[in-house]
Amino acid sequence: MQQVVSSEELLAAALQVYEQGKHPLTAMFGRDETLNGAGYAIYCCFEVPEKRDVHIVKGVFSAEGPLSYESLTHAIPAAAWYEREIHDMFGLVPEGHPDLRPLVLHESFPEDFHPLRKSVAVNAKVRGERKFKIRTAKGQGLFQVPVGPIHAGIIEPGHFRFSQAGEAMLQLDAKLFFTHRGIEKAVEGKTPEEALHIVERICGACSVANTWSFCQAVEKAAGVAVPRRAEIIRTLLSELERITNHVGDLGNMPAGVGFNPAISLGSRLKEQLMRLCEAVAGNRFLRGVIVPGGVRQDITPELIEHIHEVMDATAQGVEDLAAMFREQENFQNRVRTTGIIRNQTAKDLAMVGIGARASGYAHDSRKDFAYGVYPELGFEPYTMTMGDVAARLLVRIGELSASFEMMDKLLDMLRNCHGMELKVELTSGKGEGWGICESARGSNFQYVALDNEGRIDRLFVRSASYPNWPALTIAVQGDIIPDFPLINKSFELCYACIDR
Amino acid sequence: MGYVFQGLALNIVQALLLLAFAPLIAGVINKVKAFLQKRQGASVLQEYFDLAKWWKKPTILTPYTSIIFVVAPAVYFITSFLAASMLPGFLAGQISISDAFIFVYILALGRFFMCLSSMDAATAFGGMGGSREVYVSVLVEPAVMLAILINSLRYHSTTLSGMVIDYDGAYFTVSAALACVAFFLVILAENSRLPVDNPDTHLELTMIHEGMTLEYSGPLLTLIHLGSMLKVMVFLTLFGALYLPLAVPLAVKILFGAVLIGLVEILNNKMRLFKVRVYMGAAIVLLLLAIIAE
Repeated sequence: MQQVVSSEELLAAALQVYEQGKHPLTAMFGRDETLNGAGYAIYCCFEVPEKRDVHIVKGVFSAEGPLSYESLTHAIPAAAWYEREIHDMFGLVPEGHPDLRPLVLHESFPEDFHPLRKSVAVNAKVRGERKFKIRTAKGQGLFQVPVGPIHAGIIEPGHFRFSQAGEAMLQLDAKLFFTHRGIEKAVEGKTPEEALHIVERICGACSVANTWSFCQAVEKAAGVAVPRRAEIIRTLLSELERITNHVGDLGNMPAGVGFNPAISLGSRLKEQLMRLCEAVAGNRFLRGVIVPGGVRQDITPELIEHIHEVMDATAQGVEDLAAMFREQENFQNRVRTTGIIRNQTAKDLAMVGIGARASGYAHDSRKDFAYGVYPELGFEPYTMTMGDVAARLLVRIGELSASFEMMDKLLDMLRNCHGMELKVELTSGKGEGWGICESARGSNFQYVALDNEGRIDRLFVRSASYPNWPALTIAVQGDIIPDFPLINKSFELCYACIDR
Repeated sequence: MGYVFQGLALNIVQALLLLAFAPLIAGVINKVKAFLQKRQGASVLQEYFDLAKWWKKPTILTPYTSIIFVVAPAVYFITSFLAASMLPGFLAGQISISDAFIFVYILALGRFFMCLSSMDAATAFGGMGGSREVYVSVLVEPAVMLAILINSLRYHSTTLSGMVIDYDGAYFTVSAALACVAFFLVILAENSRLPVDNPDTHLELTMIHEGMTLEYSGPLLTLIHLGSMLKVMVFLTLFGALYLPLAVPLAVKILFGAVLIGLVEILNNKMRLFKVRVYMGAAIVLLLLAIIAE
């Protein structure tokens, strides 16, 4: 449901819906409606799981009034990054924000450049000298360790600044968003079908989750229901993507401690799964299957049997991997009590996915929003309470066995599903909607507003890594710096997801 | 006088022999590790190719480094080479310049210079690597001294060649078995192998020995790597000659030690940095027990 208030009332209205954290802030974004005869607007999206709905509080700015509002961050800590991003992108100032440094636009952008304003052209060329002050701790004997943005491994750019007292990490500041791609700007004016190809490529690890939440939003805007067979196939792809990512992450975590046999087994299993993805979708990242209105291709009976075989082999491999972790005392010693996120921290930051569930916060969109055919699968979120690296490892293993069970059921459903219809046509026209899909890292939220011709007026993408990145800087406090790679890998956060 | 020169020449020949085979042993360790991970792995000769490749590359020096940065790899290599020449001779007719205490502190000299150079470029990773290296070596040093003491007690000599066990007569005593296990633990820590350090990692934040070498390139890097490989060879030779109570040729013992390193590196992951003291404590307790048993 959507509730429209003025920008002055935004804080009060938001707090009323928030109910001291009962309804977490899932996303917050701005929108420029000046071309539609209105002003700017800020959307605060709160999850209301008991209604399986997202409550959107829309704070509108009058066309002549001031472009500032009372910051939500003091009452709702999860709003901190969103408000900084809105400040960068639209120039809307949150009064009283504790840390209003630029988030997305680094030094090379000019001070008063706000790219998501409609008055800025998509191909605008700018050069600037903005200030970006990295946060450090100062004191006698303290020193700093700068890491990145270019790393030793082949990964994406991010700068980490550690303030150290010997080996102990006192403070970590992460400077991310190095390769902002302007995706939300680029899709404006495109039809959903055109935008799909871009949305699908936001991130390599959760292309199904991104595409599915985008399609949910578009379908909600158009008011159509998806055929059952398409829903089954979408759910199956989503679980396949989760299994591939979880197995890859499980194989990647031991690399943080040099546990070689587990790394090898993990990469072997992941490669098998990516080949399966190629057999299913024609590419290793499951792109090009999910489209607005349904799916583009079917899963044939032969493919069903092939998926079944690979799942059995993978389940056995994951069992072996779990046994390796369990029996290696030295490994257990590394992962236990390392990188702890407390339950309250997870809730305050509105964390999602593995990071939340390992801290006893049972946040899972598959249960909360019951999209696709998840309600029929008897799914329950898997949680641990310790909040350390070991808990995040065990949650992945627990979720994998749940996913294998669901895959079995999904394959059976496909075998018994007689409706062969895969896709419905969408009528194009004005509308807006949101979509949510649980990726391997947590819930991906998207919001789409279509104009009168059915073209995209505003797309907002909030992937799972966005709310979890700030948690990383909290998890490391009290640990020693050689444990950082392990803690980092236990979250497995994505740079591309936030560089959208 | 003549036989002194002849003996010295033999010492150097011995060190050159060890140097020539050091990259092969490094290659064998890597091959064992690959095999145990069901990987094909690189050829056992790969380390020779790598050394040749690094040698051909240019050396890049930052303007902030001093002469220490250039000297340190040479000192490190030369100390390893000297240590190799001091090992108990397997060529007949060498002279004995091999006091055990000189041997230990010549190696310490090389390490000292590497730690200095790690701070010279003033990068965070180098400094962290250097400080951790000092931390580990403080723990390793008493263990090495104790290991030597056991043999001194047994043979009433502090020269390495005086301590060499009889190659032909294998002897199995409680003391020998304990010392054998403990000295192997020392080898792993001293040569930056798992579970103390991870020689294969690219994660700078976790590095010990590799952290100190990050700023090096070209021939200087080649010298450091060659020095490290030679040091592994020196310790494996010492392990075979002094601590491994098996009646087999020395070359077989060295190969056995290399395979053992590969095996242990596969069975273990890296321990928490501050747990290294527990690990070295275990080695020291074993050595103390060995001394009591002796």
